[in-house]
Amino acid sequence: MNIKDNLKIITEHWGKINPLKIRDYIDVGGYEAIRKFIEKMKPEEAIEEIKKSGLVGRGGAGFSTGEKWEAVKKNKGEKYFICNLDESEPGTYKDRAIVDNNPHLLLEGIIISALAIDAKKAYIYINGRYIKQREILEKAVLEAASNKFIGKGIINSHYDLEIEIFSGAGAYICGEETALINSIEGKRGEPKFRPPYPTETGLWGKPTLVNNAETVSNIPWIIINGGKKYSEIGSAVSPGTKLYVLGGAVRNSGVFEGPTGMTIGAVIDKLGGGLKKGKELWFSQIGGSSGRLVLENELDNSLTFNKKSEIPLGSGAVFVFDKHSDIYDFLLSIAGFFRRESCGKCVPCREGTFRLYEITERMKDGEISERDKEAIKDILWTLNNTTFCPFGKFAAVAFLDAVEKLKILDL
Amino acid sequence: MEIKINGKKYKANEGDVILDVCRREGIRIPTLCNFPFEEGEFKKETICRLCLVEVNLTDKLVPSCAFPVCSSLEVTTESEKIKKAREINMELLWSDHAGKCVKCKKNRMCELQSLAEEYKIDNFHFIPRKEDLTNTEELDLLKDNKTRVVVEEENPAICRTTEFCIECRRCINVCPERKFGFNHRAGDVIVGTPYEKVLECSFCGECVRVCPVAALTDKNNFSEITEKLDDIKKIAVALVAEGMEEKIKKQLLIMGYQKEPREILKSLGFEKIFDFSEKDAQDEGLDDFKVQLSRKEKINMEDIILFYISSNISLKKEKIANLDYILSEREIARLARDKKII
Ligand SMILES: Cc1cc2nc3c(=O)[nH]c(=O)nc-3n(C[C@H](O)[C@H](O)[C@H](O)COP(=O)(O)O)c2cc1C
Ligand code: SF4
Ligand code: SF4
Ligand code: SF4
Repeated sequence: MNIKDNLKIITEHWGKINPLKIRDYIDVGGYEAIRKFIEKMKPEEAIEEIKKSGLVGRGGAGFSTGEKWEAVKKNKGEKYFICNLDESEPGTYKDRAIVDNNPHLLLEGIIISALAIDAKKAYIYINGRYIKQREILEKAVLEAASNKFIGKGIINSHYDLEIEIFSGAGAYICGEETALINSIEGKRGEPKFRPPYPTETGLWGKPTLVNNAETVSNIPWIIINGGKKYSEIGSAVSPGTKLYVLGGAVRNSGVFEGPTGMTIGAVIDKLGGGLKKGKELWFSQIGGSSGRLVLENELDNSLTFNKKSEIPLGSGAVFVFDKHSDIYDFLLSIAGFFRRESCGKCVPCREGTFRLYEITERMKDGEISERDKEAIKDILWTLNNTTFCPFGKFAAVAFLDAVEKLKILDL
Repeated sequence: MEIKINGKKYKANEGDVILDVCRREGIRIPTLCNFPFEEGEFKKETICRLCLVEVNLTDKLVPSCAFPVCSSLEVTTESEKIKKAREINMELLWSDHAGKCVKCKKNRMCELQSLAEEYKIDNFHFIPRKEDLTNTEELDLLKDNKTRVVVEEENPAICRTTEFCIECRRCINVCPERKFGFNHRAGDVIVGTPYEKVLECSFCGECVRVCPVAALTDKNNFSEITEKLDDIKKIAVALVAEGMEEKIKKQLLIMGYQKEPREILKSLGFEKIFDFSEKDAQDEGLDDFKVQLSRKEKINMEDIILFYISSNISLKKEKIANLDYILSEREIARLARDKKII
């Protein structure tokens, strides 16, 4: 940990400004990044800063944001920017918190991102259940437009941008960017085969940039303070701060900002205030329902978006389980989630998640047979190795760890 | 360009996918969702996950039906890992079908069944989950984790039942009128019409032709037909449309039989067999044939049972006067199979 431990990029003004008033945001220096971008920078320079910052996507995959911007920017013609606010993973609500506490920070990020790649239209794809957040955003968009940050000739420049808020129907798979694009186009919300990638052929067949809401919320800070400064925060492999969503047996539940690269132990102790009184740590799940399970002896692992890292940071959710938690309840809720949310397109996931749930039910009832044990091994293997999109892999993660680390079954 | 498959070099064209090369070279790769809808035209769904192979560019298994070739490509089509993937995914599909074959319309003509044989999927870990539920049973069975199936046999030409459907999407992709789609999601997915309405279309029959299982089949009253074919007091007459002999031959080959279609028709109980071309149909008309025949041969109209052997199942919609049945090549094969003459 370094001196920038307490640096807040996204949460700085949370609780101190009225999220429904653009004036409050402007008074604390809001929308200055747009001004700087428009008055002092070329889009290429902005992209260069983002590349220098080392910012990687907060949507889970950890792809370099600057490189993705560049890939879209180099294409000519009509383009789109989409802010991914689908966030449907149980226990993850950091993007929602951004909207609740400082919607204009998100909007400012969206506007700069869209303008930097020459998009004239941006979408906010919001989880259909985020009704209040949609209202907040609608109001924020109106206010930003009347302050000339959105619309034709943004703060009297040659830049134009229209922002549309699109509510999904609450399907988890629609957070996957190609499924999300299908959904906006009015098609069935299911992932598409890649290539072509959305950066080449995306929404309505045009080059499209999809970024997670948290990723986008880092942009204004980087534009104001420079990429180099950002790159010095947190871990070198995936710099910056991260919103951690804490829950379970920790003293403080909620959304907390800390640098990337914190150890799991530090997240639990420093941000979460340690365990609740009388609770004893069994294991934690890192990164949401699709995250790995970690035991006490793994708390020294530091959390980054590095592809090679053992424990990926994922959505940033850290859920702590007490010794007395019911592991079968937990696994059944995970199995139920993936069984319900599978889009049903490919065989291993559609059938596998169905069967996994079926067997987990028997496991919970203590009726698991040798035949089921064989089947579980096969299902987890095929989910992990043969599905069409990463959803299948996600569905297997917690089970694989429960078997290997928690030894719930003797396979 | 040249690529390596299983250690040997093969010629590949720019724009080919791995499966194209394997098909040309006779290298066996199982597929279910992939299907040549028109000559050479494949829609790449990549969803059955049976055609997965290994390549030197990634550790992951890749779908050969969509993975483009490139000059340094090395492909492995058989390995322990590939076998495992195919076996598990086959088993997941098969577990929903196991035990249903004996009574199935598509028995011995079913692509899933023959793949299950090829991959020796005989033991399965799961209980079939799709069941045609009646209202009273429904609640209990749903508790047992069963899913609902949709049966629709009210349209004039096609029997549809999702009990056998493996969600391969061939029908969705082949239909020129885009009648089908995916309803619901996850394990509850149902391939069918919007709001599960009765199918209304031109009945070109393409979907029945491409369905690998018994989810879409020709509609006919089979017990009535067999009865009439066996009835010695009746004269069964077959009008064989142009090109049907070839199609019947192919259909029989699926079951592994090489027989002359004429022979088959005779053994099925057809007393008179006529070729009937497009032109005949226009000149004489299907509706006039029985009248003429009865006059010429001095047989009572009622004693003639007239069959039109044709793939044109759209005629079933039209209810042509004096024509009793329309049988497709699939149904000829099915009759032959049921009568055990092949
Ligand atoms: C099953 C699945 C669900 C996903 N859900 C989300 C989501 O809810 N929000 C999100 O931002 N990204 C989600 N993603 C990742 C997106 O596909 C995409 O990578 C991301 O939005 C890109 O933004 P980033 O580069 O800023 O991370 C999901 C991916 C998969 C495979
Ligand atoms: S793995 Fe297959 S069924 Fe599952 S969500 Fe992805 S495409 Fe759909
Ligand atoms: S018969 Fe032809 S038109 Fe009708 S649903 Fe099948 S493919 Fe479509
Ligand atoms: S009805 Fe037949 S062709 Fe259509 S998806 Fe089902 S199995 Fe495939």
